[in-house]
Amino acid sequence: MTENSSKGTLFHSRKFTDWPTVKEALISKEVGGVFILAPMAMQLVADGVPIKVVYLGHRDGTAIIVGKESNIYDFGDLAGKTVAIPSRYANQNILMHRMMREWGMAEDSIDLREVPPPEHPTALLAGAIDAYIVGEPFAAKAEVDGFGRVLYQASDLWEDFISCVLVVRQDLIDEQPELIRELVAGIAKSGQWLDGDIAHRMDAAEVAGKRYYFQPPELLKYVLSKPPDRVRYTRLTPLKHEFDEIMELAFEIGVLSRRVAFEEYADDSFAAGLEGTSWDLDFLPRPAGWDQGRAR
Amino acid sequence: MKLKVALGVFVWSLLISVMHIQLNIGWGAVSDRIAVMRGQQRAELLVGFLPVT
Repeated sequence: MTENSSKGTLFHSRKFTDWPTVKEALISKEVGGVFILAPMAMQLVADGVPIKVVYLGHRDGTAIIVGKESNIYDFGDLAGKTVAIPSRYANQNILMHRMMREWGMAEDSIDLREVPPPEHPTALLAGAIDAYIVGEPFAAKAEVDGFGRVLYQASDLWEDFISCVLVVRQDLIDEQPELIRELVAGIAKSGQWLDGDIAHRMDAAEVAGKRYYFQPPELLKYVLSKPPDRVRYTRLTPLKHEFDEIMELAFEIGVLSRRVAFEEYADDSFAAGLEGTSWDLDFLPRPAGWDQGRAR
Repeated sequence: MKLKVALGVFVWSLLISVMHIQLNIGWGAVSDRIAVMRGQQRAELLVGFLPVT
């Protein structure tokens, strides 16, 4: 996300390290919007928090990671094991339950434990868990550091997997819709820029790693290129049938306290028309062969 | 009589508006919105994120 839009609006971002704090910041109106877990957004609305999902953060970009030398080779091998999830309100949790059903496993056959995302790799290394499922770059972290192995990418298990969504406060939608429209259009443009060229992804890794994530750019470059579709930043309109499936599963396993209708927690009007739009976004002309030796 | 009613409605509306700003919006936010509308200040939005994809 850029700090300065072409219209002159200042978009600031604030890094959080755990989901409960993100939730509190939203409720207290400390932030105008947040990238939050999809089922968490549904539960917040069920609890009466006036917010709406207006766009997705990304698609895919989640993996189940096991120890490099472990004897876990398919989902069935996770029976009786301890697996870390980012939050019970994470779609990663829903995915685990969806897979347990698919494999005919009992709901409690895997010990799912909530662990903050940054702690997943160290918990695996310390032997506190047998596997973890989390969004990038924490999935790739164990792989890059040599002690983890990808069991499945989310895209192997759930097509067009949704993890984080952009929610904004209802009062901003009502009072400043042009601001939200500008924000969503900016994210759509950024996504198209990212997915349009691997060189853009390398640039983004440099900037995001140093200025926003405070993580090694090399790790982010790995995430954004191995393979290039490991995380996707286009086709981010919230689609009713996809959210209905998540909501129904979340309700059935007790994550949601009640069923929530798509219209209650989502407003896809800001994304309308963005999918087919194409922008001239390459602002960084480079000489031929400039990227030799990069992104290895 | 008409003048008294009109004045009463005006004062009541003013009072309700002041209370609404005081309790629900905040004077700082109102002043920022006015400054943005008058082109003296740029619109701002803070968006939170976790460093996950």
